[in-house]
Amino acid sequence: MMKNGTKRKVKPDRVVKRFCRKGIPERYRARVWMDVSGARKKMKKSQKNFYQTLLEQPNQDADFEEELTESIKTDLDRTFPDNIHFKNGIDSNKSKQKDLLNILTAFGRHSPTIGYCQGMNYIAALLLIVVKDPEQCFWLLCALIDDILPAYYTKSMIGLRAEMNVIDDLVREKFPEVQQKMDVYKVPWTLVASKWFVCLFVDVVPTEAWTVLRVWDCLFFEGSKVLIRAALCIIYNVKPAVLSCKGMPDVVQTFKDVSKNSAILDCHLFMQQCFIETNPLTRADLKKLREKNRKLIEEEDEKYSQKQRKSRPSR
Amino acid sequence: MSLKSKKEPQPQPQRRVFKVIVIGDSDVGKTCLTYRFCSGQFQDKTEATIGVDFRERMVDVDGELIKLQLWDTAGQERFRKSMVPHYYRNYSSFQNLPAWIEECNKYCSSSGGIPRILVGNKSDLKEKSEVDTNTAQRYADSHCMPLFEASAKEDKDFANIEAIFLTLAHKLKCHKPMMSGDYPSMKRATVLSIDKELVRKNSDSYCANC
Repeated sequence: MMKNGTKRKVKPDRVVKRFCRKGIPERYRARVWMDVSGARKKMKKSQKNFYQTLLEQPNQDADFEEELTESIKTDLDRTFPDNIHFKNGIDSNKSKQKDLLNILTAFGRHSPTIGYCQGMNYIAALLLIVVKDPEQCFWLLCALIDDILPAYYTKSMIGLRAEMNVIDDLVREKFPEVQQKMDVYKVPWTLVASKWFVCLFVDVVPTEAWTVLRVWDCLFFEGSKVLIRAALCIIYNVKPAVLSCKGMPDVVQTFKDVSKNSAILDCHLFMQQCFIETNPLTRADLKKLREKNRKLIEEEDEKYSQKQRKSRPSR
Repeated sequence: MSLKSKKEPQPQPQRRVFKVIVIGDSDVGKTCLTYRFCSGQFQDKTEATIGVDFRERMVDVDGELIKLQLWDTAGQERFRKSMVPHYYRNYSSFQNLPAWIEECNKYCSSSGGIPRILVGNKSDLKEKSEVDTNTAQRYADSHCMPLFEASAKEDKDFANIEAIFLTLAHKLKCHKPMMSGDYPSMKRATVLSIDKELVRKNSDSYCANC
């Protein structure tokens, strides 16, 4: 696929897709992500030094800037506090915290309606560890949030909330006994699975296990459907544990223990299961499910705000 | 570990469960507060809570063993507004806390209001405090809620942390069930908490029990 030393662009074709599913070799990972995600294309199409310019030019809305900086800084020390690249504090030369701050700030200025949403800190931090070059990380983050992922990070988090309903629908269809348990104990998927999507599985499955990077290899090439597959695959693997649960706290704990599940930590096995145990799952069906649930939630929100308006007309 | 939960006698068939939601701005110490209460320990390095987390502990209230479920939520506004709709569909900063309480009272008027507690966390950082005790006390008084100042960090303050949640449990025990549709064994109440550390403006956190 790639000869050492050549800087040829990686064409996203079937062969590359197969390689992505099998795991991109570590030394090529940054380059392949840049090519298959469309991040490099975005970077080339933008004006020169776009990233640098964003860092030098604050948004004219001072309140926006203050909130953006404040909320990012709050999370800096709380992002991978045990990781060697992040634990030394922002003033240390060895620390990537400054780069993390820059990437997130640049993204917030580039996309002010989204700004900064918790969870992006983990994604940007893992990008920094793998890709290293902050500018490329910024463009990968843009490719993810602008193009690849549904609206997880917007103010209403509509894409994320719809995704939780999609999981509900799919689990009902594929693992009905699990959904039955969730219904009996009144555990909404929001409670256990929202972090999976907001953080793209970072800090859900330990990064050392490579499982997260393997999911990302597919995510950058194939899009967000693989996140649904990975979520279903996690549920498939914890199914026996869930079925023996005796109450809501049990269920919640079972899903917290995902980080210790040996089948999920075995990245090869997990990726194989991902594309077998979650079938059938067509792109068209998923699209329909997402649209249906998005609409449902929008209607619910509308009803709620109407009720609010009625109940307090004085305000 | 010598928590009260350990001296559980015979399992009771109908043990009551009280749910508490802890909400508040990012980094005011919601996770540390609940973690300290449930495990007895202080987490030195916490990561930002994404979505909702969940902890619980058994407490003894006047001889009855009650399970306190603490729901620890993400601080960022968009999470509070969209992710926890079942428990909480509003948000507040220190300034609009009154409006929030008013709304909360309105919403819960059928049961005569939800018991509340105000907590000022990080009291070990007294020199950085922006909200002085008098202001907080006046605020708490005017809304008929007890005020607690505590530090999840200080070992010696553990009794104080316990007092917060035990007071809440006690208030809940004396409280009527909120909705007729609820389990008869389930009760709801509210705790309000502000952060004593005022490096950051508008640090307030709010705990509601549903």
